[in-house]
Amino acid sequence: MARPTTRRRPVDYPTVGLWIALVITCVVWATPFFMMFLTSVKSKPDITRLPTWALPTEWLWSNYAGAVTRGNLWVTGLNSVIVSVIKVPVGLLLAALAAFALARLRYRHTKLVLGLFALGSMVPIQVGLGPLFNIMLNLGLLDSVGGLILPYLAFGIPYQIFMLYGFFRAIPDELEESAALDGASTFRLFWQICVPLAKPALAALFVLDFVATWNEYAMATTLLQSQTHWTIPVAVQAFSGQHATEYGELNAFIIMTALPVLIVYLLFQRYFVSGAFSGALKG
Amino acid sequence: MRSHVPSNQHRRRSHGIHRHPVLSSIPYLFPAAVLYGVFLLFPMIQSVWLSFQKWNGFRTSAPEFVGFANYVRLFTADPVFWRATRNSVIWVVLSLAVPMVLSFVLALGLNRQMAGRNLFRSVIYIPAVFASITVAAMWKWIYNPQYGIVNETLRAIGRGAWAEQWLGNPKIALYSIFVASIWQGVGFNMVLFLAGLQQVPHELVEAAKIDGANAWQRLTAVTLPALRPTLVVVIILTIISSLKVFDLVLGMTGGGPAQASQVLALWSYQQSFSNHVFGMGGAVATVLLILSLALVVPYLTWSLRGEED
Repeated sequence: MARPTTRRRPVDYPTVGLWIALVITCVVWATPFFMMFLTSVKSKPDITRLPTWALPTEWLWSNYAGAVTRGNLWVTGLNSVIVSVIKVPVGLLLAALAAFALARLRYRHTKLVLGLFALGSMVPIQVGLGPLFNIMLNLGLLDSVGGLILPYLAFGIPYQIFMLYGFFRAIPDELEESAALDGASTFRLFWQICVPLAKPALAALFVLDFVATWNEYAMATTLLQSQTHWTIPVAVQAFSGQHATEYGELNAFIIMTALPVLIVYLLFQRYFVSGAFSGALKG
Repeated sequence: MRSHVPSNQHRRRSHGIHRHPVLSSIPYLFPAAVLYGVFLLFPMIQSVWLSFQKWNGFRTSAPEFVGFANYVRLFTADPVFWRATRNSVIWVVLSLAVPMVLSFVLALGLNRQMAGRNLFRSVIYIPAVFASITVAAMWKWIYNPQYGIVNETLRAIGRGAWAEQWLGNPKIALYSIFVASIWQGVGFNMVLFLAGLQQVPHELVEAAKIDGANAWQRLTAVTLPALRPTLVVVIILTIISSLKVFDLVLGMTGGGPAQASQVLALWSYQQSFSNHVFGMGGAVATVLLILSLALVVPYLTWSLRGEED
């Protein structure tokens, strides 16, 4: 990560100036979070009377309990957990299988197939939302948490294939050949050689995909109708639309719904960095 | 399954350990390909088909073929479409100018050793892990005309006259949303640039320094050329994500006031699901699809050609 660069000098004014500029930037960047938190523990009179940055006269933690009830947090949260817990591992497995086929069992048109997959990861979802609604309707999968997983898989897999392809391609042929000489089946080549070697990439994709799945809104709002089937993002938008004047509870709700991704980020920070570029730069 | 073929005749063909690569790859590709085909490729193709139909989206009525009528209406009689196109173009151009430069400058700054570097990086990156729809809800509160921090700050420093209906004024609503997108998006590009900077050969920078190049010369003559692949990736990803903007606008203004902040992705959605003219929605989607493909196909060709084979 770090580049051991500048030699130590007595006082390095440009660096001090840079540091101050960065501190100011970060304060600006963090302000929305502080404000959200302050608002989330204020009563309505406090919000209307006091400036946003003032501490509350009374710390109203009950906003959090209120938001849980009003936003139906347990139900929507459980839906989001179900979707993420099933979609993320299944999607990664399917993407890894496909990437393995494209990278290791090569034939003339593999690149074309790969390109076709990659294309899908880059076209806006909204292009297909209208017909997707009808397909789900005809399959009887509309307004179902389990049904939502299928298009989620379809929209997540292409990017992961694109990324994993690069990793699987980098595995030296000799390794595979010697295993094949020992009589290993193709599936064992995949499961016991390629997958373990791609573990860092898989971990990064796992974390990124969890965040993307947890945050997805456009498809969820199109395909899930009844409130008991909503995922977290749909609930956030509904809360912000219907109870916009319950400022304290709204901000408490936002904080609680964002906590899972925040925790995942703090625990797996390095994967966000490696995952973001390893595939993007190489392709 | 044809996958159990331990072949002893490897090396006969270039990658010859799998005797029938096409056949043995089928079980591996099949699940991904089916999902991709049914839930992604097919809906996108059907959007193009729908753009030649007239349909209200209800099961009780069947789509009716109308030729290019939807496109004629789109290009000649739908001012919202042109507003949305203009706004999407503005969004692309602004995204290439403001957040990209900002994230590059931040990456240059944070590429040095300094106290608190990891904290700085985290603070700037964290908004990127939040759902866009959540960011929209947050910024609606920030822009609240009475109690939002923007207007309260302006009043507190005696500039109450500048207090605005940030999301209610048609002239500035789009730009207010854009500010929220800067806040959310800069961290991601910064990380990409930081990664790219790791690959700039350190010896080159040092050599230029010894040759007497100043900081600006080192940046333009050494660092920037070495960053070119990163720059291409960031530019392409920025344009694509600009065309995809949806959650932020929907959450903050819903495209309003009076369609002033409408963008293509949202207009396509609203034509289908709010206005029940699926044909028109399909036509907007097709325009969006063509715009995206015009960018993505050359990019993919470029990035896949880089591979040997």
